[in-house]
Amino acid sequence: MYAKKMILVAALLGCGALHSAWAGKNDDTLRIGFTRESDTLDVYFNATREGVVMAHLIWDALLWRNPKTGQYQPGLADEWAFIDNQTLEFKLKRGVKFHNGEKFDADDVVYTMNWISNPENGVKARRFVDWIKVAEKVDSNTVRIIAKKPFPAALEMLSNLLVIYPNEYHAEAGPDLFGRAPVGTGPYAVTDVDIGKKITFRANREYFGGSKGAPAIGNIVVSNFSDKNTLLAEVLTGRIDWMWNVPADQAEKLQNNPQLQVVNESTMRIGFVVMDAVGRSGDTPFTKRKVRQAVAHAINREAIVKHLVKGRSTVIHSACFPTQIGCEQSVRKYEYNPDKARRLLDEAGYPDGFRVDLHANRDRPYVEAILSDLQEVGIDANLVYIKWPALREKRRAGKVALQHTTWGSYSVNDVSAVTSVFFSDNPDDYAHDRQVRQWLAEGDNNTDLEVRKAAYSKALRRIAEQAYWVPTWTYNVNYVFSKDLNFTPDYDEYPRFYQSYWN
Amino acid sequence: MGGFTSHAGAPGKSFRGFLSHHGLVVSGGILGLIFIGAVFAPLLSAYDPYTQDLANRHIPPVWYERGTWEHFLGTDALGRDYWTRLLYGARASLFIGFVSATIAGLLGVALGVSAGYFGGRVDAAITFLINLRLSLPVILVALAVVALFSGTFLVIVVLLGCLLWDRYAVVTRTLTKQLKEKEFIASSVALGSSRTGIIAKDILPNLANHLIVVWTLEIAHAILLEAALSFLGLGVQPPTPSWGLMVSEGKDLLFFEGWLIAIPGCALFLLVLSINLVGDGIRDVTAPENLT
Repeated sequence: MYAKKMILVAALLGCGALHSAWAGKNDDTLRIGFTRESDTLDVYFNATREGVVMAHLIWDALLWRNPKTGQYQPGLADEWAFIDNQTLEFKLKRGVKFHNGEKFDADDVVYTMNWISNPENGVKARRFVDWIKVAEKVDSNTVRIIAKKPFPAALEMLSNLLVIYPNEYHAEAGPDLFGRAPVGTGPYAVTDVDIGKKITFRANREYFGGSKGAPAIGNIVVSNFSDKNTLLAEVLTGRIDWMWNVPADQAEKLQNNPQLQVVNESTMRIGFVVMDAVGRSGDTPFTKRKVRQAVAHAINREAIVKHLVKGRSTVIHSACFPTQIGCEQSVRKYEYNPDKARRLLDEAGYPDGFRVDLHANRDRPYVEAILSDLQEVGIDANLVYIKWPALREKRRAGKVALQHTTWGSYSVNDVSAVTSVFFSDNPDDYAHDRQVRQWLAEGDNNTDLEVRKAAYSKALRRIAEQAYWVPTWTYNVNYVFSKDLNFTPDYDEYPRFYQSYWN
Repeated sequence: MGGFTSHAGAPGKSFRGFLSHHGLVVSGGILGLIFIGAVFAPLLSAYDPYTQDLANRHIPPVWYERGTWEHFLGTDALGRDYWTRLLYGARASLFIGFVSATIAGLLGVALGVSAGYFGGRVDAAITFLINLRLSLPVILVALAVVALFSGTFLVIVVLLGCLLWDRYAVVTRTLTKQLKEKEFIASSVALGSSRTGIIAKDILPNLANHLIVVWTLEIAHAILLEAALSFLGLGVQPPTPSWGLMVSEGKDLLFFEGWLIAIPGCALFLLVLSINLVGDGIRDVTAPENLT
């Protein structure tokens, strides 16, 4: 049966290419397929996940976070320490060279940190750099980075996202050329760039190794496909060795393919239903706590995870990803109970339910399942399915009474990267809860772990008690790749190709 | 084009003509079945098109190994019965097709007949409008409007009605111009008939058989456009069933569960083909040269 289908697929694709299939190992070239294109390789101007993944190949940051242990390890810095709660000092690694031969030293770090944190340079990923006040050179091997105020996520940013430019080349090339012809210290050097189509990397044989280790695969080619099914066809015929974000149903079918491996891994992305508890969008039933609690009881999250989301996803009850520092788990839980939901609606003064628009920007089947559950208890929800930028704009303008959306925290393992983003004084906040805001600020601006945890715990428990959100589930990613490739995905959703090798 | 008459053809004769035209009978039969399916959908299926059953997702149709008679066309990604979705989806297609082609017809005929009959400045102005409309790419305008006003049924019907009138206008304008020169129109004028009277009694009946062809073409056109918009996520919004939406929802599993696309795809193909054949058949049967 399966063989028949494969023949059909091959015929459909009109491909005489099967004979050249699975050639990645033979020519030592790992071919990666992405569906989101990058308009620049400069990670400060392209902080998409794909952009960060490629940046990890080209550059190094001062530190490296071990995805298995969560510990920070040396990157371009061998040692680091907090001088006070706003100042970090780094002892840099000696003898490191950029791809163009330029020597790495304290000037490069100072130049990079000061350049990216200067608002005039227009770095797009402001969230990652805004905390930096200034970087200072102590000697050619030592630098200090000073934060504007105590910033607990500093090491997280410095280990994952804030890569180091070569100061001379960057100043000479300017940001545009640098984005098209980047130079770094990383395990792979860029050899050819066709923006939006293809980027070719070659292993940096002089790489210093360090925590990332020496690259094993000789060449990497990243190609862009506008349509996921086209990419899947390329994977099925062996012209692409690796793809990700394969929907659960497709991944299940691909498991039978002897040429491919399918691996599922959890991610830090969570889904949640946000209700307008303050009436920003007008006179809405969600200003009543019982209505919000009714919504929480109405959605059968267990069934949706079991049958639709699948993989390593789990139902969550707290407004954060379970491993994030400060993510309190012992909060009020709302079990699936449609009768209770109807009763709560009745008590809140809506015995016949009400009509509302449910906004969403992704995962239509999941949202349709939520919609059906809401209709079951009498909430006549009408699906408004729009693109992410449109939803974000509408949400920030206070026009959305009910929405299901997701947040990946940029893989930052800290509650400040999610709960504080949505419940602090900003246009994304639909709770306007002064107490919650106060507790979150306390957690965000303190470096004492116990104080932070206690503050976040209070905030998260109140959020659940008030049912401002219905946290739904964690997301997972299906990776599909050639059986010749040894690749291990990590929960932080940053594929580390520099650690992959051929079987 | 030679056979204009001053009165409509004999009905009895044309009915016999209908039955002897094989293409018309077959396509009319298919269209009739789809129509009956859409109208009597609740009687023809035991399921609700919106009721989800997450434990029974992607059950294949009965001719596959895992298929069951309980869901003889299978179930979709949310466990909804595919046959039921197909029947209710036919309602969306037929409604949008018929209503928007009719709105477009009213607009196009009014403009075309006025241009052809009155000539002069009226004709120049309407010809300009026709050219303007022909220069607009339909799908692009439709996408932009739907993106602005969201894809509700009303928006789509009105939008397609306002976009598909050009063919009616072109055809009726030309034919009216030719008709106006005929002797029976001159006699009507001489007998003192009003302009409205002439248009209603002498011109429109003579346009009827051409209009039927254009109308059927536009119904098919509107149905395909709705399917295209729904496929792109801008047409009928889920969970409302629509054939274009069903194709769109099935496309992720194109390589594994091809029937998810094949079934609504075949339904669309049959519907559009049968409407076009019915139009052709009616034209053949009612053409004046076949009535004499």
